[in-house]
Amino acid sequence: MLEVRAGDLGKLELLFDRHHRALFRYFLHLTSNRAVSEDLVQEVFFRILKYRHTYQTETRFCAWMFQVGRNVHLDHAVRHKAEVAMPERGWDVRSPGVPPDLQAQSRQEAALLRRALAAMPPEKREVLIMSRFLDLKYEEIASVLKCEVGAVKVRVYRALRELSDRFFALCGERAS
Amino acid sequence: MICERVREQIPECLAGRLDHAARERLVAHLETCPACRAELAELNAVWIGLGSLPEPEPDPAMRSRFLEVLEAYQVGRASGLAGHAKDPVRTFRLPHVPHIWQAALAFALLMVGVFLGRYLAEPRGASPDVAQLQAQVENLRQLVTLSLLQEQSPSSRLRGVTYSYQMAQPDAQVEQALLYAVNHDSNVNVRLSAVDALEKYAANPQIRRALADAVPVQDSPLVQIALIDLLVELNDKEAVSALRKLAQNAQADNQVRQHAAWAIQRMEVSQ
Repeated sequence: MLEVRAGDLGKLELLFDRHHRALFRYFLHLTSNRAVSEDLVQEVFFRILKYRHTYQTETRFCAWMFQVGRNVHLDHAVRHKAEVAMPERGWDVRSPGVPPDLQAQSRQEAALLRRALAAMPPEKREVLIMSRFLDLKYEEIASVLKCEVGAVKVRVYRALRELSDRFFALCGERAS
Repeated sequence: MICERVREQIPECLAGRLDHAARERLVAHLETCPACRAELAELNAVWIGLGSLPEPEPDPAMRSRFLEVLEAYQVGRASGLAGHAKDPVRTFRLPHVPHIWQAALAFALLMVGVFLGRYLAEPRGASPDVAQLQAQVENLRQLVTLSLLQEQSPSSRLRGVTYSYQMAQPDAQVEQALLYAVNHDSNVNVRLSAVDALEKYAANPQIRRALADAVPVQDSPLVQIALIDLLVELNDKEAVSALRKLAQNAQADNQVRQHAAWAIQRMEVSQ
């Protein structure tokens, strides 16, 4: 990123290749919409390009990128208040070699877990995504969310607790 | 109280991020507390479930779209800021445009070649033909720019904005399309690029007026700051009163207000 900041814009291609998938998944979990998530990834890298001079060396690139990503998503959320439901197609769990009945069960559980996650309040969903899917340390999550590390610890636990309640409640509904 | 503190460490433990001493303390507590053991088992099931959710891959075309934008941005800066030299120009390549426009441009260039050949072969005095062809190429550029600016995808509209740098002469329709993008485009990046592209048209007092009018009505602080920067660069003193109102508007974004105050100071110093 230092080279990009110094004007070697071609190096941004390397950063895109390294990080665009994680960023895409972050947006996909937040928006539940593939096309929107792809557009938001483009926006993040465009803003990185345009505001490269604001990058500070003491921040790890990943944490800075997610800060930009968070702002891009907030701007998007203000403009599109209604969230689109998570598309089911393309999200199937595929486990070759597993008997069909068990496959069907894990597909069902995965669908319920996704529903439970999508129904979480956005700020809780976000902290859980950062901690579970993005491989960010608590210190980095704290820097993205602009809060203390201790607060991140509590938020992640409470979010996981709530997800668990929602998930098992959905499992109970399905069973009855 | 102890249980609460211990439970807050469960996600870190499941992620394998708890240090040795803390993990030992957690295990010691779990050995004596069945409620926390049950909590760990339940959260562990959900944690593992999250990990086994499939990780969808983005469309591979996303990468090529990004590279198009990157190239267009580099070319846009190279041609748009040639006089400013804010960035060293590392490469100079034509921007990527959709195949249909490439074909249209290729055809136009072929026609230029054919007519130039005829012009050179004939006795002098046929210069109106060449002028006409230059006008045709310019019209084609205008057409490409305007069409891209009306595309649904923000990436295409961004290419439209950067393509406007290719136009040799300011064009009224492109000028209006860029102004429309600044005021109405749903994508902040397209608006930001359109602000940059309008610098070329700033000799027109109506455009300077429109840029100053756009500052208070923008909903994005980033675009407001970009507009203020452009007005400072143009040293547009007529914008000072509008900026003063903005700087005093308690409803406006704090950074934008500070930037407006800075801009007023800059323009007053340069008087």
